[in-house]
Parts: sequence; C-alpha cells; structure tokens
Amino acid sequence: MNKTGTQAFVNQVLIYTLVAICLSGSVGLASVWMQQQIAATSNSIKQLEMRTAELERRRGEINADIAAEQSPLRLEQRNRAWNLGLVQPTEQQIERVYESPERRLARKRNDERFGVESISFTPTRYVAGGSR
Amino acid sequence: MSKGFASNYRVVLLAIGVLLTFAGVGTRLVFLHVIDREKLVRHIEEVRRQIVVENAVRGDIVDRRGQLLATSRTMIELGVDPQVMRPQDEAKWPELARLINVPLEKLTEIFNTKVRSADPNDPESRERLVRWARLCEEIPESLYDRVRALDIKGVYGTSAYRRTYPQGRLAAHLVGYVNKEGTPATGIEHYADFYLRGQNGWRESEKDGRQREMARFRSRDVPATNGYSVMLSIDSVIQSWVEEELDAIAAEFSPDNAVIIVSDAATGFLLALANYPTFDLNEFNKAPMEAQKNYAISSQIDPGSTFKIVAAAGAINEGLVTRSTRFDCNVAEVVYNGKPRRLMDDDHTYDHPLTVEDIISRSSNRGAAMLAMALGDRRFYEYARAFGFGEKTGFPLVGEINGRLHDPKQWSGSDITRIPAGYSISATPLQIHYGMGVIASGGVLHRPQIISEVRSASGELVYRFGSNVARRVITNSTAQEIAWSLQKVVSEEGTASNIVIPGYQLAGKTGTAQKLIDGRYSSRNHIASFSGFFPASAPRVVITVIVDNGKPRRGVAYGRAVAAPSFKRIAEKLIPYLDIPPADSAAAPSLLASKGLRP
Repeated sequence: MNKTGTQAFVNQVLIYTLVAICLSGSVGLASVWMQQQIAATSNSIKQLEMRTAELERRRGEINADIAAEQSPLRLEQRNRAWNLGLVQPTEQQIERVYESPERRLARKRNDERFGVESISFTPTRYVAGGSR
Repeated sequence: MSKGFASNYRVVLLAIGVLLTFAGVGTRLVFLHVIDREKLVRHIEEVRRQIVVENAVRGDIVDRRGQLLATSRTMIELGVDPQVMRPQDEAKWPELARLINVPLEKLTEIFNTKVRSADPNDPESRERLVRWARLCEEIPESLYDRVRALDIKGVYGTSAYRRTYPQGRLAAHLVGYVNKEGTPATGIEHYADFYLRGQNGWRESEKDGRQREMARFRSRDVPATNGYSVMLSIDSVIQSWVEEELDAIAAEFSPDNAVIIVSDAATGFLLALANYPTFDLNEFNKAPMEAQKNYAISSQIDPGSTFKIVAAAGAINEGLVTRSTRFDCNVAEVVYNGKPRRLMDDDHTYDHPLTVEDIISRSSNRGAAMLAMALGDRRFYEYARAFGFGEKTGFPLVGEINGRLHDPKQWSGSDITRIPAGYSISATPLQIHYGMGVIASGGVLHRPQIISEVRSASGELVYRFGSNVARRVITNSTAQEIAWSLQKVVSEEGTASNIVIPGYQLAGKTGTAQKLIDGRYSSRNHIASFSGFFPASAPRVVITVIVDNGKPRRGVAYGRAVAAPSFKRIAEKLIPYLDIPPADSAAAPSLLASKGLRP
C-alpha cells in the first residue's frame, strides 16, 4: 500500500514535471517565435525605410537632371541642334486681349457652332426600330 | 497490482537528473541576471549600442518659377579593398576603368597595391595592409548601379549628399556655393544657410557582431528635418538673356568687367543680376577669384552722367526749378558762395539756354552743376544720400561696400561742380541701379530684395518676403517730371537716340565716366553705363548696364555706344515675356495671345 502510494506520488511528480517542461518549452518556443517575428518585422521596416530613402535619393537625382535639361542654355542648344527655329514672338504676332478671355472664347465657340453648323444643318429623321 | 512506469530506480535517476539540470540553468540565470548583471549590461552597451546620425538634406534654391538653381544629390565615393579581390574578376577591370573614366593602368596599380610600405623617415611606422583605396571621388548613383552590376568583389562606395547646381553658371554670383568641406561660402547659400541647412536626426539602436544594425533593438529615433527651400525673385529666363548679353558685350568690347541688373520697378525685387567675368558653380574650385567677384556690389566706380538725376530731382523737388527753367550752359565759370568756380566742359556748345529737361537729355555737366549749386552743398549732399549713395543698399549678400560720398565739410572748391556730373563720387553698380529705381518707383528708395519665399520640404509656405521701402526720397510728381525728362534722353534729341523702340516709352540716362588711372582721369579708359526703365508712364522694369573699360573697335566707349544697345536688346526681349503693352495702352491691363506663324 505504502509502496503503491509512493509510486503514485512519484508518477504524479513526473507527470507534473513533464507538463511543466512542456508548458515552459511551449512558452519558450512562443517567445522565441515572437522575437523572431519582431526581428523579421523590424528588418522588413528597415529595408522599406532604406528603399524609401533610396527612392528619395533617386528622385533628387532625376529632378536635378531634369532641371539641368530644362535650363535656358540647354534648351537653346537643343533649339539650334535640332533646327527647331523657335524664337520669341514679335510685336506684330501679339494680339492683346483686353476683355474677359472666358467671354471671348465663349463667343468664338458659339460663333463657330452656330455660324458653321447652321450652314451645314440637316434635319435628322428618327426611324422606329432603327439604331442610333 | 501494476507497478506503473516509474517502478525502477533509473526513472528516478532521470527525474533527479532533469531537476538538477533545471537547477543548474536557474543558478546560471541568477548569476547572469542578478549577480553579474551590472558588469554584463555595461559590456553589452559598450559593444552593441550604436548611435546612427541621419543626415538632413539641404534645401533647394529655386527661381521665381520654381526652376532648380541649387539642389542636393547623393554622390558615391568609390573605393576598393584590395585584400578581398578575386582573380576571376580581373577580366572586368577594363569595363570598370571605362565606366569611371580612370586609366586601366592606374586602376590596375591601385588594385595590386596590397601593402602600404613603411615611411623611411618615421622609425615607428610599419608596413600596413591596404584595406581601402579611393578609385573615384564622386560618381552619381546611376553610374554606381552599373559598377555594382559588374560584381567585382571588394569594390564598393560610400554615399554622401553633395551640392549640385543644375543651371551651371546661371546666377552664379547670387546663388553662391557650398565648398568641398560642406561650408556655405558665398551667395544665397551663405546668406540663407539658416533656412537651407536643416537639422540632422539620430537613431539609437544595437548592432551585431558584424556591425549590422539590429533593427528590433531601436530605442530612440529622432528623424532628420530637411532644410527649407528658398525661392528667389530671380527669373532664370531673364537671367539667361542678361548673361547672353554680357557674353556679347565681352566678345565685342573686351571690357575689364561688366554688370547688368534688372529689377521690378514697383517692388525693388531683383529679376536678374549678372557679372562678367563669371564662373560655373559646379567647378567653383577652378574659377579665379576675379571671376567670383560680385562687381555689382563690391566694385566702386564713378557713376558719371547717370548721377545727374540727383541734382535735377532735388532742385525740382525743392521747388527751385521746373522742367522748363532755363540755364545758360555755355558759361565756363560761375560765382558760388562768393567764389568763382570753373565748370566742367560739355561736349557741345548750345545756341540757347537749356531747360532742365535739356540738361538731362543732352547730359550737360555745367547744367547739372548749376542745379546742384541752386540746391547748395548740404541739400545736394542730403539728396545724394537719400538716393542711396554713400551707404550700403542693404543687399543681403556679403561683400557689399558703401561707395564714397564725402560730407560737404570735406569737399574741395571744385567738388560742387564735379559731383553733380558723377565725378569725385564713387558708387556701386547696385547703388546706381536703385538710384534710378527711385524715379521708376514714383519717388521711393527700395532695398534690394532677392528672396521672395521660404517653403518647407513638404512645400508649405514658411515666410513670404515683401517689398522693402527704405525711404521716400522725392514726391511722386517730381519723379514723374524726371521720368518725362529721362524719356527725352531716348528720343531723337537725346544722347540715347539709337535705342528707340517704336511704340514704347523708354526712359533712361547714359553715362560715360573717365577712369582714374594712376591718379589722373584717362581719356582712353571709360566706364560706360546706361540706367533706365520702361514704360516711362507706368514703369515695370529697371535695367542698368555698366561696362568697365570697354574697347570698341572705333571711337570712345560712350555709354550710348557700349551700354545702351544692350538695354534695348534686353527691353525688346522683356516686352513679350512680361507682357508690357505699347505706350497707347500702357495703362490698361492686358492678356497676351500670340497669333500668326513664326517668322
């Protein structure tokens, strides 16, 4: 009886120990996995930051190149090299508009619409069942 | 009855073993975390902790249309660790040499130099392994990508922000530069450094045994604040025309130096300012000092006849004369303050007394002297000071000088006859320009403004600079009177009859001053100038052209021949660009629309 009771106690201790080991192992594994995930996420963020910084640098480089290409000196060189013949407008080519440009454009559009279309106006006949 | 699985002593032994192991681990943990904690933590902090500085990007300098004048870009310093080079990469060396534009022989020598020999003069020096040797000081990142694509082991670069000037020499004296040490040396780079430089950030974290940052241990992260962008009032297009004009002047007249200034008549904001000689900002270290000098603010010249507006404006403003008051300019000597004073010679004799308007349009030295005498020494001096002569204009860039205008107590007997004609006085080109600006602005002296806005890196407006009026010098009606007189200069009767633009009211004053060489005024060396504005009835721009010691192929370097034509050419370009309408519609606001084909 006593022997049996001792064995049962040892069994219980062993079982509890094994359970404790399993639990602590699980907690340990979970902790390591969590740390690993934190590290992976941190590294991913770091990579993204580095990529963003690199893109910013590239953007700066491209902006500088664009600015250099748009400089008046370079544009004039291109104008000559490609024989574009671009020059400033002369006074004779300039028409100064002293009225509202919106009104002027609206009147021009209306003149074109009503003036031109009224000449070539042909009435449309709609037929039942026909396609538009 | 079952004995169970722990019935023999070996199981008990195993259990004891496991418990002892746990006890051992626990004991070790107690040592690590409690007993030796302080020592270990200190050691770890020393070895693993790192503070990484995050460099702020210097702000851009842009013109008034947002065109980049100065910006920062990453440049790579390319180097090599000869110790880790692989023999199989040797075939790629010629391609690398071609990419970075270094002779293959030199590259091979660098790659093969693996040991740095000891200095024979230093007994303590020893041979050292070369772990880094520079291949190229600066290459752009796009080129670095191609270098990396070659995959030559040991060749690597370190990046750093470098200042670059996409427009090259455009507005070089205004923009200034940051030198190789990263110190802003001149120009706006120096003046607006407070706005441009930004503030570095820093990050506290830990590193592993291979010096790599362990991002998960970042404890503090203070991001860098990039510098603000500074917007100038300069217009790249106008600046480029002005510099082209200076090139033309240099080619035709070979002057010692020349300056052209263009500003907004109403606000005093500079639209362009250029000097000859000039330099490329990207190669500032190769430019001689005389090319880097900003003559517009740091050279002093006799203003010559452009100064005659001071005596005329003062006399009209005080009500002593009107535009039609006449003076006999044929007399060679007058009595002033009880003493006879000999007047400077005029180029012409006149068959009738000249009106004040004629004195300006025909540039009579004697007439100007008589107007100054009408004012008296003190009042004339005060008007000259009020026009901005003899004091700094307040231009923000370093190097500006005062010019020279002595107090009347120090004047000699002849000074009252010479100063009104622009002699015995020295001024900077910028003072002459803003002196003319007083007439164009309706009587007020503006302080030169060059920065129009400051914006944050994200584009938000931080500060907007406005017009800065130093003082009112003359009344608006006086300014109009002088403006009409100056308009006559650019007419068939005036000294600048060669620059008339049909339909446009140009106003200005020619100037030709003899240069003082070895204490004597030279009859062969002149400073030619033209300062004016247009349209006279509603001034939009003020333009000043000054050519120091120009050498025309024929004749004397008069202002009308050397400087005035440049004024005209620039004005012709500005008319369509700034939408300046002809005289008959000068007062009405207009919108531009082009029509017709290109000529």
